[in-house]
Amino acid sequence: MSDIFIYMLVATLVMLSCFAVGLPNILHSALALIGSFMITAALYISLQIELLALAQIMVYIGGIVVFMLLIILLTTGLGVDDKRRKISFGKWMSSGFIIGLFLTSLLYFFSENDTGLADIITPKALPITIDQIGIRLLSTENGFIVPFEVISLLLLAALVGAVVLARKDVHIKKEES
Amino acid sequence: MSAAETLYPLHNGIGNMVRDFFPESAFYINAVLGLTALIILVSSLASILIYLERKVSGHFQVRLGPMRVGYHGILQPIADGLKLILKEILKPKGADALTFYLAPMFPLTATFLIMAILPYDHHLQLADPAGGVLYVLGISGLTVLGLLLAGWSSNNKLSLLGAIRAAAQMISFEISLALIILMIVMVSGTASLREIVLSQQGLIFDWWIFKLPFLGILAFIMYLVVSTAELNRTPFDLAEAESELTAGFHTEYSGMSFAMFFFAEFVNMFISAALATTFFLGGFHAPLIGISFVDHILNSIPGFIWFFGKTFFIIFIYMWFRWTFPRLRIDQLMSLEWKMMLPVNLILLMMVGVFMVLGWAG
Repeated sequence: MSDIFIYMLVATLVMLSCFAVGLPNILHSALALIGSFMITAALYISLQIELLALAQIMVYIGGIVVFMLLIILLTTGLGVDDKRRKISFGKWMSSGFIIGLFLTSLLYFFSENDTGLADIITPKALPITIDQIGIRLLSTENGFIVPFEVISLLLLAALVGAVVLARKDVHIKKEES
Repeated sequence: MSAAETLYPLHNGIGNMVRDFFPESAFYINAVLGLTALIILVSSLASILIYLERKVSGHFQVRLGPMRVGYHGILQPIADGLKLILKEILKPKGADALTFYLAPMFPLTATFLIMAILPYDHHLQLADPAGGVLYVLGISGLTVLGLLLAGWSSNNKLSLLGAIRAAAQMISFEISLALIILMIVMVSGTASLREIVLSQQGLIFDWWIFKLPFLGILAFIMYLVVSTAELNRTPFDLAEAESELTAGFHTEYSGMSFAMFFFAEFVNMFISAALATTFFLGGFHAPLIGISFVDHILNSIPGFIWFFGKTFFIIFIYMWFRWTFPRLRIDQLMSLEWKMMLPVNLILLMMVGVFMVLGWAG
């Protein structure tokens, strides 16, 4: 696979990230964000870091974006009040022109000068498997068992905090009844 | 050779034949062949499952189901498909056009992506990522995204309520599903779907449903309950309760964009059943019982027939559920998940850990 594939992925990623920040409708921004997460996962796959790609899909697309969407759906007025569309057509055109010029020149530069980026970043050794990461994470010698346990404690504290926030106050209920 | 070819090679008869004839472009030809097979499989599965659902429902209610089109209504799915294609796709006034037309694509994409990694036979699998289980759990998040976007973009409060109900239900039950799958990953020692099937090689008692003393059957029953809830099927179909929410998130959808949701729902049912087969029922392995004469006959049947047979048996159980149990209320559903399923799953996971330390788990 030549460099050009990775550059196409990266260019789409940059474009979608710009959309995620710049679109007037928050929901459309969220959609662009989903796309950019997907392409990040694809980049990881092309670098043969499979676990990171799967974690990206699972944590970001399966978890975080869904919660973001729930929050967005429960807000009224998604910024579609056309105030931000007052930016003139010429301004959009000029910024689009500059971005397009930038991307084209980048593409031209990298397709003319083959940097062999794909060869450099692809690890020469075998790809690291999930088993290796799991064993390394939980082994006591030269492993990450202590950070792992500390993080699980932190998550437990967060869970307990969520329960405390969500539960009904017993005293108030007694006074009412 | 690209990263994809080295990571996920297709090693079966057809793949190797293509590799012999066109060594240069074998990677692209194999990928195109695999994807074509996948598209044919998904589209034919959807129509077969819809026909089955109507027939099974009919016979459960002591009637015949579709009978007019073809022999015993066998051409009914084609007639339904034609009707759906010819129907107009209506967009409600004030609906967000981009999101409205994009939303049905998410669930259907998710089904295609998951079908690609199911192990249908020894060498009949498009890709076998080492973290296949993680992949399945992550991609099924796309379905939730599709439902949420569809509910919001319909510009209809009943759709939005249905979508939020469906999303809350699917997110909650996904936790239990993940815990059950984690249990299987623990006992089989691998996260790749093919390796999980291979870890159940041997007699029928080596399948995870029987190999774990009585915990396996318990986990299997819990998987059935949790996956029914995950699929939004009766008795947990309150996201599309007709009497309260008209039809939930897909109220405003018609024609092909409704058909996409419908197809995705049915193919998701197949995927859940196929995952149950993979995790508990030995996947493509024949149910050998240890008598060499019988085993010889059983082994002569190809693996994908066993796979599809087991899967369709579980699909039949799902359809059986539908006409057996009444629908739950939303608070009953949530307390079932958070107060019963989750603690029981955690205890089950701990017990399996203890069993493994004691050496009782296979």
